[in-house]
Amino acid sequence: MMKRLRIERATGQLLAAHPSTTSTPGAALRSSHRASQVPVRHQSSSAVEAKSHTPLYEEDGTDHSRFPPLEKLPPNTSALPSPLPSRALQSAKLAALHARLSLSPKIPLQTLARTLVDASADPNPQFNNSSLAFLGSTIINYHASEWFMVHYPRLPMDVFYAAMTGLAGPAPLHRIAKSWGIESAAVPGGEVDPGLLQFSLEHPGESVLGFGYTRTVVGKINKNNWQRSVASKVIYDDDFGQAVPPPSQQPKEENNPAEEEESEEFSESVPLPKFSPTSYGSEQTRELSEKAHANFVRAVVGAMYAHCGREAAKSFVKAHVLSRHLDLERLFAFKHPTLELAMLCAREEFDPPVARLLSETGRLSRTPVFVVGIYSGNDKLGEGAGATLEQARLKAAMHALKAWYLYSPGERARVPSDMLGDEDEGGAEKKKSWEPVYVDIGELISR
Amino acid sequence: MAVKALQAVSQGRNGVGAFILQCKRIDLHYCDWAGSSRGMNGFIKSLLPKFAAAHPQIEFTVSPRPAKHPVAIGHYINGRSKPICVRNMEPYEILKKLELLRDASGEKLKKVTKPVRSINESVRGIWSPYHGNGMPL
Repeated sequence: MMKRLRIERATGQLLAAHPSTTSTPGAALRSSHRASQVPVRHQSSSAVEAKSHTPLYEEDGTDHSRFPPLEKLPPNTSALPSPLPSRALQSAKLAALHARLSLSPKIPLQTLARTLVDASADPNPQFNNSSLAFLGSTIINYHASEWFMVHYPRLPMDVFYAAMTGLAGPAPLHRIAKSWGIESAAVPGGEVDPGLLQFSLEHPGESVLGFGYTRTVVGKINKNNWQRSVASKVIYDDDFGQAVPPPSQQPKEENNPAEEEESEEFSESVPLPKFSPTSYGSEQTRELSEKAHANFVRAVVGAMYAHCGREAAKSFVKAHVLSRHLDLERLFAFKHPTLELAMLCAREEFDPPVARLLSETGRLSRTPVFVVGIYSGNDKLGEGAGATLEQARLKAAMHALKAWYLYSPGERARVPSDMLGDEDEGGAEKKKSWEPVYVDIGELISR
Repeated sequence: MAVKALQAVSQGRNGVGAFILQCKRIDLHYCDWAGSSRGMNGFIKSLLPKFAAAHPQIEFTVSPRPAKHPVAIGHYINGRSKPICVRNMEPYEILKKLELLRDASGEKLKKVTKPVRSINESVRGIWSPYHGNGMPL
Protein backbone atom coordinates (compact mmCIF):
# COMPACT_ATOMS: atom_id res chain seq x y z
CA MET A 1 0.00 0.00 0.00
CA MET A 2 1.21 3.44 -0.79
CA LYS A 3 2.25 5.57 2.09
CA ARG A 4 0.36 8.78 2.32
CA LEU A 5 2.27 12.00 1.92
CA ARG A 6 2.58 13.76 5.28
CA ILE A 7 1.99 17.26 4.10
CA GLU A 8 2.09 18.81 7.56
CA ARG A 9 5.75 17.91 7.84
CA ALA A 10 6.47 20.10 4.88
CA THR A 11 4.96 23.23 6.38
CA GLY A 12 8.06 24.45 8.13
CA GLN A 13 8.72 26.62 5.14
CA LEU A 14 5.49 28.51 5.73
CA LEU A 15 6.79 29.62 9.09
CA ALA A 16 10.25 30.72 8.10
CA ALA A 17 10.47 31.47 4.47
CA HIS A 18 14.18 31.57 3.89
CA PRO A 19 14.82 33.55 0.76
CA SER A 20 17.68 31.57 -0.71
CA THR A 21 18.09 34.04 -3.51
CA THR A 22 17.27 37.68 -3.10
CA SER A 23 14.90 37.80 -6.02
CA THR A 24 13.17 41.06 -5.24
CA PRO A 25 14.21 44.25 -3.52
CA GLY A 26 11.93 43.32 -0.62
CA ALA A 27 13.68 40.04 -0.12
CA ALA A 28 17.02 41.79 -0.20
CA LEU A 29 15.87 44.19 2.49
CA ARG A 30 14.56 41.37 4.59
CA SER A 31 17.78 39.45 4.36
CA SER A 32 19.70 42.56 5.27
CA HIS A 33 17.39 42.98 8.21
CA ARG A 34 17.97 39.44 9.34
CA ALA A 35 21.66 40.08 9.18
CA SER A 36 21.31 43.21 11.24
CA GLN A 37 19.53 41.29 13.98
CA VAL A 38 22.56 39.07 14.49
CA PRO A 39 24.69 40.67 17.21
CA VAL A 40 27.73 40.94 14.94
CA ARG A 41 28.82 44.36 13.91
CA HIS A 42 28.89 44.97 10.19
CA GLN A 43 31.60 47.47 9.72
CA SER A 44 31.50 47.23 5.97
CA SER A 45 27.91 48.36 5.66
CA SER A 46 28.30 51.17 8.09
CA ALA A 47 26.47 53.70 5.95
CA VAL A 48 23.38 51.54 5.74
CA GLU A 49 23.55 50.59 9.38
CA ALA A 50 23.80 54.18 10.48
CA LYS A 51 20.78 54.96 8.38
CA SER A 52 18.81 52.03 9.68
CA HIS A 53 19.35 53.09 13.30
CA THR A 54 17.54 56.35 12.82
CA PRO A 55 14.20 56.02 14.60
CA LEU A 56 11.14 55.35 12.50
CA TYR A 57 8.46 58.02 12.01
CA GLU A 58 10.89 60.79 12.74
CA GLU A 59 10.10 62.63 9.57
CA ASP A 60 6.51 63.38 10.60
CA GLY A 61 7.71 65.66 13.39
CA THR A 62 6.38 63.60 16.30
CA ASP A 63 8.06 64.10 19.66
CA HIS A 64 8.95 60.53 20.50
CA SER A 65 9.94 61.23 24.09
CA ARG A 66 6.40 62.40 24.82
CA PHE A 67 4.52 60.03 22.55
CA PRO A 68 6.46 56.80 22.31
CA PRO A 69 5.32 54.50 19.47
CA LEU A 70 2.94 51.78 20.58
CA GLU A 71 5.10 49.05 19.15
CA LYS A 72 8.86 49.10 18.94
CA LEU A 73 9.52 48.39 15.31
CA PRO A 74 12.76 46.96 14.01
CA PRO A 75 14.77 49.40 11.91
CA ASN A 76 13.99 49.74 8.22
CA THR A 77 10.56 48.22 8.76
CA SER A 78 8.68 50.80 6.76
CA ALA A 79 10.78 50.01 3.70
CA LEU A 80 9.52 46.42 3.62
CA PRO A 81 6.51 45.63 1.44
CA SER A 82 4.83 43.55 4.17
CA PRO A 83 5.27 43.09 7.93
CA LEU A 84 8.00 40.79 9.18
CA PRO A 85 6.72 37.29 10.10
CA SER A 86 8.15 37.67 13.60
CA ARG A 87 5.81 40.59 14.31
CA ALA A 88 2.80 38.29 13.97
CA LEU A 89 3.30 37.11 17.54
CA GLN A 90 2.77 40.62 18.90
CA SER A 91 -0.40 41.48 16.99
CA ALA A 92 -3.54 41.49 19.11
CA LYS A 93 -5.75 41.66 16.02
CA LEU A 94 -4.18 38.54 14.59
CA ALA A 95 -4.56 36.57 17.81
CA ALA A 96 -8.19 37.66 18.06
CA LEU A 97 -8.83 36.61 14.46
CA HIS A 98 -7.23 33.22 15.13
CA ALA A 99 -9.53 32.70 18.10
CA ARG A 100 -12.60 34.09 16.33
CA LEU A 101 -12.28 31.56 13.53
CA SER A 102 -11.65 28.79 16.10
CA LEU A 103 -8.54 27.80 14.19
CA SER A 104 -6.50 24.91 15.42
CA PRO A 105 -3.41 25.80 17.47
CA LYS A 106 -1.48 23.87 14.84
CA ILE A 107 -1.86 26.91 12.57
CA PRO A 108 0.77 29.37 13.77
CA LEU A 109 0.12 33.09 13.82
CA GLN A 110 2.90 33.64 11.30
CA THR A 111 1.02 31.62 8.71
CA LEU A 112 -2.20 33.45 9.48
CA ALA A 113 -0.32 36.72 9.02
CA ARG A 114 0.94 35.49 5.68
CA THR A 115 -2.59 34.72 4.50
CA LEU A 116 -3.39 38.41 4.99
CA VAL A 117 -0.70 39.63 2.58
CA ASP A 118 -2.06 39.83 -0.93
CA ALA A 119 0.12 39.42 -4.00
CA SER A 120 -0.55 43.06 -4.85
CA ALA A 121 0.99 44.17 -1.55
CA ASP A 122 4.10 42.00 -1.64
CA PRO A 123 5.13 40.57 -5.00
CA ASN A 124 7.46 38.02 -3.41
CA PRO A 125 5.66 34.65 -3.42
CA GLN A 126 7.64 33.59 -0.38
CA PHE A 127 5.91 36.22 1.72
CA ASN A 128 2.48 36.70 0.10
CA ASN A 129 -0.50 34.39 0.19
CA SER A 130 -0.66 33.42 -3.50
CA SER A 131 0.51 29.84 -3.02
CA LEU A 132 -1.80 29.24 -0.06
CA ALA A 133 -4.67 30.88 -1.95
CA PHE A 134 -4.12 28.63 -4.94
CA LEU A 135 -4.16 25.57 -2.69
CA GLY A 136 -7.26 26.83 -0.89
CA SER A 137 -9.12 27.65 -4.09
CA THR A 138 -8.67 24.11 -5.39
CA ILE A 139 -9.98 22.71 -2.09
CA ILE A 140 -12.98 25.06 -1.90
CA ASN A 141 -13.90 24.51 -5.55
CA TYR A 142 -13.51 20.75 -5.22
CA HIS A 143 -15.81 20.52 -2.20
CA ALA A 144 -18.38 22.91 -3.65
CA SER A 145 -18.53 21.17 -7.01
CA GLU A 146 -18.75 17.66 -5.56
CA TRP A 147 -21.50 18.88 -3.24
CA PHE A 148 -23.53 20.20 -6.19
CA MET A 149 -22.82 17.14 -8.31
CA VAL A 150 -24.08 14.75 -5.65
CA HIS A 151 -26.95 16.78 -4.25
CA TYR A 152 -28.28 18.18 -7.52
CA PRO A 153 -27.21 15.71 -10.21
CA ARG A 154 -29.51 17.14 -12.87
CA LEU A 155 -28.40 20.78 -12.72
CA PRO A 156 -27.81 22.18 -16.22
CA MET A 157 -24.18 23.16 -16.69
CA ASP A 158 -24.87 26.90 -16.94
CA VAL A 159 -26.84 26.82 -13.70
CA PHE A 160 -24.11 24.71 -12.15
CA TYR A 161 -21.54 27.37 -13.00
CA ALA A 162 -23.82 30.09 -11.63
CA ALA A 163 -24.28 28.09 -8.43
CA MET A 164 -20.52 27.59 -8.11
CA THR A 165 -19.97 31.33 -8.58
CA GLY A 166 -22.70 32.11 -6.08
CA LEU A 167 -21.30 29.79 -3.43
CA ALA A 168 -17.53 29.70 -3.96
CA GLY A 169 -16.76 32.60 -6.32
CA PRO A 170 -15.07 35.84 -5.34
CA ALA A 171 -18.27 37.65 -4.31
CA PRO A 172 -19.39 35.15 -1.63
CA LEU A 173 -15.81 34.70 -0.38
CA HIS A 174 -15.54 38.47 -0.05
CA ARG A 175 -18.68 38.45 2.06
CA ILE A 176 -17.27 35.63 4.17
CA ALA A 177 -14.10 37.63 4.83
CA LYS A 178 -16.24 40.62 5.79
CA SER A 179 -18.30 38.45 8.13
CA TRP A 180 -15.09 37.43 9.86
CA GLY A 181 -14.45 41.05 10.74
CA ILE A 182 -11.42 41.53 8.50
CA GLU A 183 -10.17 45.09 8.31
CA SER A 184 -7.82 46.22 5.61
CA ALA A 185 -4.83 48.51 5.81
CA ALA A 186 -5.13 51.75 3.89
CA VAL A 187 -1.79 51.15 2.22
CA PRO A 188 0.31 47.99 2.59
CA GLY A 189 3.72 48.25 4.14
CA GLY A 190 6.12 46.77 6.62
CA GLU A 191 4.97 48.93 9.49
CA VAL A 192 1.24 48.10 9.42
CA ASP A 193 -0.35 45.74 11.91
CA PRO A 194 0.01 42.14 10.65
CA GLY A 195 -3.64 41.56 11.60
CA LEU A 196 -4.88 43.81 8.80
CA LEU A 197 -5.56 42.64 5.26
CA GLN A 198 -2.96 44.17 2.98
CA PHE A 199 -3.54 44.78 -0.67
CA SER A 200 -2.58 47.52 -3.02
CA LEU A 201 -4.96 49.55 -5.14
CA GLU A 202 -2.11 50.90 -7.24
CA HIS A 203 -0.54 47.84 -8.78
CA PRO A 204 -2.65 44.70 -8.93
CA GLY A 205 -0.51 41.68 -8.20
CA GLU A 206 -0.20 38.50 -10.16
CA SER A 207 -1.48 35.36 -8.53
CA VAL A 208 -2.40 32.25 -10.44
CA LEU A 209 -5.70 31.10 -9.03
CA GLY A 210 -7.02 28.42 -11.28
CA PHE A 211 -6.40 25.86 -13.92
CA GLY A 212 -7.59 26.55 -17.39
CA TYR A 213 -6.63 27.17 -20.95
CA THR A 214 -6.28 30.73 -22.13
CA ARG A 215 -8.25 30.96 -25.33
CA THR A 216 -6.64 32.80 -28.19
CA VAL A 217 -9.70 35.00 -28.62
CA VAL A 218 -10.16 35.72 -24.91
CA GLY A 219 -9.94 39.46 -25.48
CA LYS A 220 -12.77 39.42 -27.97
CA ILE A 221 -14.83 37.10 -25.79
CA ASN A 222 -14.65 39.55 -22.92
CA LYS A 223 -15.01 42.66 -25.07
CA ASN A 224 -17.83 41.63 -27.41
CA ASN A 225 -19.51 39.18 -25.06
CA TRP A 226 -19.11 36.34 -27.52
CA GLN A 227 -21.06 33.20 -26.84
CA ARG A 228 -19.16 30.09 -25.87
CA SER A 229 -20.62 26.64 -26.02
CA VAL A 230 -21.16 24.83 -22.75
CA ALA A 231 -18.92 22.00 -23.91
CA SER A 232 -16.04 24.40 -24.58
CA LYS A 233 -16.59 26.00 -21.17
CA VAL A 234 -16.17 22.60 -19.57
CA ILE A 235 -12.98 21.90 -21.47
CA TYR A 236 -11.23 25.26 -21.57
CA ASP A 237 -12.51 27.55 -18.87
CA ASP A 238 -12.04 27.76 -15.13
CA ASP A 239 -14.17 26.28 -12.33
CA PHE A 240 -16.77 29.03 -12.70
CA GLY A 241 -17.14 28.81 -16.47
CA GLN A 242 -15.27 32.07 -16.97
CA ALA A 243 -12.71 32.48 -19.72
CA VAL A 244 -9.22 32.37 -18.24
CA PRO A 245 -7.60 35.80 -18.63
CA PRO A 246 -4.22 35.87 -20.33
CA PRO A 247 -1.18 36.25 -18.08
CA SER A 248 -0.13 39.87 -17.89
CA GLN A 249 1.87 41.00 -20.85
CA GLN A 250 4.49 42.85 -18.87
CA PRO A 251 7.70 40.84 -18.47
CA LYS A 252 8.70 39.86 -14.97
CA GLU A 253 11.08 42.24 -13.27
CA GLU A 254 14.58 41.03 -13.81
CA ASN A 255 16.66 41.74 -10.78
CA ASN A 256 20.35 41.64 -11.24
CA PRO A 257 22.13 40.83 -8.01
CA ALA A 258 24.67 43.51 -8.85
CA GLU A 259 21.95 46.16 -8.93
CA GLU A 260 20.59 45.16 -5.58
CA GLU A 261 22.65 47.39 -3.44
CA GLU A 262 21.51 47.64 0.12
CA SER A 263 21.32 51.36 -0.20
CA GLU A 264 18.64 51.02 -2.85
CA GLU A 265 15.37 52.35 -1.59
CA PHE A 266 12.51 49.96 -2.12
CA SER A 267 10.12 52.82 -2.66
CA GLU A 268 11.98 53.78 -5.80
CA SER A 269 10.92 50.62 -7.58
CA VAL A 270 7.25 51.16 -6.82
CA PRO A 271 5.45 52.64 -9.85
CA LEU A 272 3.53 55.83 -9.44
CA PRO A 273 -0.09 55.40 -8.36
CA LYS A 274 -2.52 55.29 -11.24
CA PHE A 275 -5.52 56.47 -9.27
CA SER A 276 -5.93 59.43 -7.04
CA PRO A 277 -7.18 58.71 -3.50
CA THR A 278 -10.54 60.12 -4.53
CA SER A 279 -11.08 57.15 -6.82
CA TYR A 280 -11.59 54.86 -3.82
CA GLY A 281 -14.86 53.06 -4.28
CA SER A 282 -14.68 52.97 -8.04
CA GLU A 283 -15.61 49.75 -9.74
CA GLN A 284 -11.97 48.85 -10.30
CA THR A 285 -10.93 49.35 -6.68
CA ARG A 286 -13.97 47.46 -5.49
CA GLU A 287 -12.98 44.58 -7.72
CA LEU A 288 -9.42 44.61 -6.38
CA SER A 289 -10.71 44.67 -2.82
CA GLU A 290 -13.07 41.79 -3.54
CA LYS A 291 -10.25 39.79 -5.07
CA ALA A 292 -7.96 40.40 -2.11
CA HIS A 293 -10.63 39.42 0.41
CA ALA A 294 -11.50 36.27 -1.55
CA ASN A 295 -7.84 35.30 -1.82
CA PHE A 296 -7.49 35.72 1.94
CA VAL A 297 -10.34 33.27 2.59
CA ARG A 298 -8.82 30.83 0.11
CA ALA A 299 -5.44 31.19 1.76
CA VAL A 300 -6.90 30.43 5.19
CA VAL A 301 -8.34 27.21 3.78
CA GLY A 302 -4.98 26.45 2.18
CA ALA A 303 -3.20 27.05 5.49
CA MET A 304 -5.73 24.82 7.20
CA TYR A 305 -4.96 22.06 4.73
CA ALA A 306 -1.22 22.49 5.03
CA HIS A 307 -1.12 22.48 8.84
CA CYS A 308 -4.12 20.40 9.94
CA GLY A 309 -4.81 18.09 7.03
CA ARG A 310 -7.60 17.24 4.67
CA GLU A 311 -10.40 16.53 7.11
CA ALA A 312 -9.96 19.79 9.01
CA ALA A 313 -9.91 21.77 5.77
CA LYS A 314 -13.05 20.01 4.61
CA SER A 315 -14.98 20.69 7.78
CA PHE A 316 -13.84 24.32 7.67
CA VAL A 317 -15.10 24.69 4.09
CA LYS A 318 -18.34 23.00 5.07
CA ALA A 319 -18.86 25.25 8.08
CA HIS A 320 -18.00 28.55 6.42
CA VAL A 321 -18.71 28.19 2.69
CA LEU A 322 -21.13 25.35 2.02
CA SER A 323 -23.40 26.17 4.95
CA ARG A 324 -24.41 29.47 3.40
CA HIS A 325 -27.86 29.80 1.87
CA LEU A 326 -28.17 29.81 -1.90
CA ASP A 327 -31.62 29.47 -3.44
CA LEU A 328 -31.03 27.40 -6.56
CA GLU A 329 -34.60 27.90 -7.75
CA ARG A 330 -33.83 31.52 -8.43
CA LEU A 331 -30.95 30.75 -10.77
CA PHE A 332 -33.11 29.46 -13.63
CA ALA A 333 -34.21 31.65 -16.53
CA PHE A 334 -36.42 29.82 -19.02
CA LYS A 335 -37.22 31.09 -22.48
CA HIS A 336 -39.64 28.47 -23.83
CA PRO A 337 -40.56 26.34 -20.82
CA THR A 338 -43.47 24.52 -22.49
CA LEU A 339 -41.33 23.53 -25.45
CA GLU A 340 -38.53 22.38 -23.22
CA LEU A 341 -40.94 20.34 -21.11
CA ALA A 342 -42.33 18.68 -24.22
CA MET A 343 -38.81 17.74 -25.31
CA LEU A 344 -38.05 16.40 -21.86
CA CYS A 345 -41.15 14.22 -21.92
CA ALA A 346 -40.25 12.97 -25.40
CA ARG A 347 -36.73 12.09 -24.30
CA GLU A 348 -37.86 10.32 -21.15
CA GLU A 349 -40.62 8.55 -23.07
CA PHE A 350 -43.36 10.04 -20.93
CA ASP A 351 -46.73 10.87 -22.42
CA PRO A 352 -46.69 14.33 -23.99
CA PRO A 353 -47.50 17.04 -21.44
CA VAL A 354 -51.05 18.42 -21.36
CA ALA A 355 -52.10 21.57 -19.51
CA ARG A 356 -55.40 21.33 -17.64
CA LEU A 357 -57.29 23.99 -15.77
CA LEU A 358 -57.58 22.82 -12.18
CA SER A 359 -59.53 25.70 -10.68
CA GLU A 360 -60.27 29.32 -11.31
CA THR A 361 -61.89 32.27 -9.66
CA GLY A 362 -63.08 35.64 -10.84
CA ARG A 363 -62.67 35.08 -14.59
CA LEU A 364 -64.64 38.23 -15.38
CA SER A 365 -63.30 40.25 -12.46
CA ARG A 366 -60.30 42.56 -12.29
CA THR A 367 -58.18 40.00 -10.43
CA PRO A 368 -58.79 36.55 -11.84
CA VAL A 369 -56.73 33.57 -10.67
CA PHE A 370 -56.29 30.43 -12.73
CA VAL A 371 -54.62 27.31 -11.46
CA VAL A 372 -53.21 25.18 -14.24
CA GLY A 373 -51.68 21.74 -13.85
CA ILE A 374 -49.45 20.04 -16.38
CA TYR A 375 -50.15 16.35 -16.80
CA SER A 376 -48.29 13.61 -18.51
CA GLY A 377 -50.82 10.82 -18.75
CA ASN A 378 -52.22 10.55 -15.25
CA ASP A 379 -49.17 12.06 -13.53
CA LYS A 380 -49.22 15.70 -12.57
CA LEU A 381 -45.77 17.13 -13.32
CA GLY A 382 -46.33 20.61 -11.97
CA GLU A 383 -48.81 23.34 -11.42
CA GLY A 384 -48.89 27.10 -11.31
CA ALA A 385 -51.28 29.93 -10.58
CA GLY A 386 -51.46 33.08 -12.63
CA ALA A 387 -53.70 35.96 -13.62
CA THR A 388 -54.10 34.69 -17.18
CA LEU A 389 -54.39 31.20 -18.54
CA GLU A 390 -51.15 31.60 -20.53
CA GLN A 391 -49.21 32.84 -17.52
CA ALA A 392 -50.50 30.03 -15.35
CA ARG A 393 -49.55 27.46 -17.98
CA LEU A 394 -46.02 28.84 -18.32
CA LYS A 395 -45.59 28.88 -14.56
CA ALA A 396 -46.80 25.33 -14.34
CA ALA A 397 -44.29 24.29 -17.02
CA MET A 398 -41.48 26.09 -15.20
CA HIS A 399 -42.37 24.39 -11.95
CA ALA A 400 -42.38 21.03 -13.68
CA LEU A 401 -38.95 21.70 -15.21
CA LYS A 402 -37.54 22.91 -11.89
CA ALA A 403 -38.88 19.81 -10.20
CA TRP A 404 -36.92 17.79 -12.75
CA TYR A 405 -33.70 19.82 -12.69
CA LEU A 406 -33.59 20.23 -8.91
CA TYR A 407 -34.01 16.56 -8.13
CA SER A 408 -31.96 15.77 -5.06
CA PRO A 409 -31.22 12.42 -3.46
CA GLY A 410 -31.52 14.13 -0.08
CA GLU A 411 -29.46 16.11 2.36
CA ARG A 412 -27.72 13.04 3.70
CA ALA A 413 -26.34 11.79 0.40
CA ARG A 414 -22.63 11.27 0.80
CA VAL A 415 -20.00 12.88 -1.36
CA PRO A 416 -16.93 11.01 -2.61
CA SER A 417 -14.58 12.81 -0.23
CA ASP A 418 -16.49 11.32 2.71
CA MET A 419 -14.77 8.06 1.80
CA LEU A 420 -11.29 9.52 2.17
CA GLY A 421 -11.20 9.29 5.98
CA ASP A 422 -8.18 7.80 7.66
CA GLU A 423 -8.28 4.09 8.36
CA ASP A 424 -7.82 4.58 12.09
CA GLU A 425 -10.86 6.86 12.27
CA GLY A 426 -13.28 4.22 11.11
CA GLY A 427 -12.76 5.07 7.46
CA ALA A 428 -12.58 1.42 6.49
CA GLU A 429 -16.13 0.70 7.49
CA LYS A 430 -17.24 3.88 5.77
CA LYS A 431 -15.62 2.61 2.61
CA LYS A 432 -17.55 -0.63 2.80
CA SER A 433 -20.92 1.07 2.76
CA TRP A 434 -20.30 3.36 -0.19
CA GLU A 435 -23.06 3.38 -2.75
CA PRO A 436 -22.58 4.94 -6.18
CA VAL A 437 -24.21 8.32 -6.51
CA TYR A 438 -26.84 9.11 -9.10
CA VAL A 439 -25.37 10.42 -12.33
CA ASP A 440 -27.77 11.99 -14.80
CA ILE A 441 -27.58 11.21 -18.49
CA GLY A 442 -27.11 14.85 -19.33
CA GLU A 443 -28.73 18.05 -20.26
CA LEU A 444 -31.92 18.28 -22.20
CA ILE A 445 -30.88 20.86 -24.73
CA SER A 446 -27.35 22.04 -24.86
CA ARG A 447 -25.84 24.66 -27.01
CA MET B 1 -33.63 28.01 -26.16
CA ALA B 2 -31.74 26.19 -23.45
CA VAL B 3 -32.14 27.17 -19.84
CA LYS B 4 -30.08 30.23 -18.93
CA ALA B 5 -28.60 31.00 -15.55
CA LEU B 6 -29.05 34.07 -13.39
CA GLN B 7 -26.43 35.12 -10.90
CA ALA B 8 -26.93 35.20 -7.13
CA VAL B 9 -24.68 35.36 -4.09
CA SER B 10 -25.08 33.05 -1.14
CA GLN B 11 -26.33 34.51 2.12
CA GLY B 12 -24.55 33.89 5.40
CA ARG B 13 -26.35 32.51 8.40
CA ASN B 14 -24.23 33.02 11.49
CA GLY B 15 -24.49 29.97 13.70
CA VAL B 16 -25.40 27.57 10.88
CA GLY B 17 -22.12 25.81 10.28
CA ALA B 18 -19.90 28.19 12.20
CA PHE B 19 -20.53 30.89 14.77
CA ILE B 20 -18.58 34.13 14.73
CA LEU B 21 -18.79 36.37 17.79
CA GLN B 22 -19.92 39.75 16.51
CA CYS B 23 -17.97 41.83 19.03
CA LYS B 24 -14.45 42.11 17.68
CA ARG B 25 -12.86 44.78 19.85
CA ILE B 26 -13.49 46.45 23.20
CA ASP B 27 -11.73 49.72 24.04
CA LEU B 28 -11.43 50.63 27.70
CA HIS B 29 -10.60 54.21 28.64
CA TYR B 30 -9.75 55.33 32.17
CA CYS B 31 -8.39 58.33 34.03
CA ASP B 32 -5.74 58.07 36.70
CA TRP B 33 -6.87 61.12 38.59
CA ALA B 34 -10.64 61.45 38.47
CA GLY B 35 -12.84 59.77 41.06
CA SER B 36 -15.35 58.53 38.54
CA SER B 37 -12.67 56.16 37.21
CA ARG B 38 -12.01 54.47 40.56
CA GLY B 39 -14.16 51.47 39.70
CA MET B 40 -12.72 51.27 36.19
CA ASN B 41 -9.17 51.29 37.52
CA GLY B 42 -10.04 48.51 39.94
CA PHE B 43 -11.70 46.58 37.13
CA ILE B 44 -8.64 46.87 34.91
CA LYS B 45 -6.39 45.71 37.74
CA SER B 46 -8.46 42.86 39.12
CA LEU B 47 -11.08 41.57 36.68
CA LEU B 48 -9.91 42.45 33.18
CA PRO B 49 -7.06 39.89 32.89
CA LYS B 50 -9.44 37.04 33.58
CA PHE B 51 -12.18 38.42 31.33
CA ALA B 52 -9.75 38.99 28.48
CA ALA B 53 -8.28 35.52 28.84
CA ALA B 54 -11.76 34.03 28.70
CA HIS B 55 -12.50 35.87 25.44
CA PRO B 56 -9.55 35.46 23.11
CA GLN B 57 -11.69 36.34 20.08
CA ILE B 58 -12.10 39.93 21.32
CA GLU B 59 -9.26 42.38 21.02
CA PHE B 60 -8.92 44.52 24.17
CA THR B 61 -7.24 47.89 24.19
CA VAL B 62 -6.72 49.89 27.37
CA SER B 63 -5.73 53.52 27.12
CA PRO B 64 -5.84 56.56 29.38
CA ARG B 65 -8.16 59.45 28.66
CA PRO B 66 -7.18 62.08 31.22
CA ALA B 67 -9.85 64.28 32.78
CA LYS B 68 -12.69 62.34 31.17
CA HIS B 69 -15.18 59.83 32.46
CA PRO B 70 -14.24 56.18 31.94
CA VAL B 71 -15.86 54.52 28.95
CA ALA B 72 -16.04 51.06 27.41
CA ILE B 73 -16.55 50.95 23.64
CA GLY B 74 -17.45 47.76 21.79
CA HIS B 75 -16.66 47.51 18.07
CA TYR B 76 -18.65 45.10 15.95
CA ILE B 77 -18.22 43.20 12.73
CA ASN B 78 -21.01 45.15 11.04
CA GLY B 79 -18.94 48.30 11.47
CA ARG B 80 -20.94 49.86 14.27
CA SER B 81 -19.69 50.61 17.76
CA LYS B 82 -21.43 50.76 21.10
CA PRO B 83 -20.00 53.09 23.75
CA ILE B 84 -21.03 52.78 27.39
CA CYS B 85 -20.03 55.37 29.95
CA VAL B 86 -19.06 53.57 33.16
CA ARG B 87 -18.50 56.52 35.51
CA ASN B 88 -18.80 55.86 39.22
CA MET B 89 -19.48 52.17 38.64
CA GLU B 90 -18.13 49.36 40.75
CA PRO B 91 -15.85 46.77 39.06
CA TYR B 92 -18.56 44.13 38.99
CA GLU B 93 -21.04 46.55 37.44
CA ILE B 94 -18.48 47.26 34.73
CA LEU B 95 -18.08 43.52 34.23
CA LYS B 96 -21.83 43.32 33.57
CA LYS B 97 -21.53 46.11 31.02
CA LEU B 98 -18.68 44.32 29.29
CA GLU B 99 -20.74 41.16 29.11
CA LEU B 100 -23.49 43.23 27.53
CA LEU B 101 -21.02 44.53 24.95
CA ARG B 102 -19.75 41.02 24.29
CA ASP B 103 -23.23 39.59 23.72
CA ALA B 104 -24.51 42.42 21.55
CA SER B 105 -24.74 41.96 17.81
CA GLY B 106 -23.86 45.54 17.03
CA GLU B 107 -27.19 46.23 15.40
CA LYS B 108 -29.20 49.24 16.48
CA LEU B 109 -31.67 48.35 19.19
CA LYS B 110 -35.12 48.29 17.69
CA LYS B 111 -38.48 47.02 18.57
CA VAL B 112 -39.67 44.21 16.31
CA THR B 113 -43.26 44.98 15.46
CA LYS B 114 -43.47 43.37 12.04
CA PRO B 115 -43.51 39.61 11.44
CA VAL B 116 -40.01 38.19 11.09
CA ARG B 117 -39.15 36.95 7.59
CA SER B 118 -37.05 33.87 7.16
CA ILE B 119 -35.06 32.62 4.18
CA ASN B 120 -35.76 29.04 5.21
CA GLU B 121 -38.47 27.20 3.36
CA SER B 122 -41.67 26.50 5.21
CA VAL B 123 -41.75 22.90 6.42
CA ARG B 124 -45.50 22.64 5.95
CA GLY B 125 -45.73 24.34 2.59
CA ILE B 126 -47.88 27.33 1.76
CA TRP B 127 -51.62 27.01 2.18
CA SER B 128 -53.56 27.55 -1.00
CA PRO B 129 -57.28 28.29 -1.25
CA TYR B 130 -57.49 26.52 -4.61
CA HIS B 131 -56.35 23.11 -3.43
CA GLY B 132 -57.67 20.34 -1.26
CA ASN B 133 -61.26 19.48 -0.65
CA GLY B 134 -61.99 22.55 1.39
CA MET B 135 -64.30 22.74 4.33
CA PRO B 136 -67.97 22.08 3.59
CA LEU B 137 -70.16 24.79 5.00
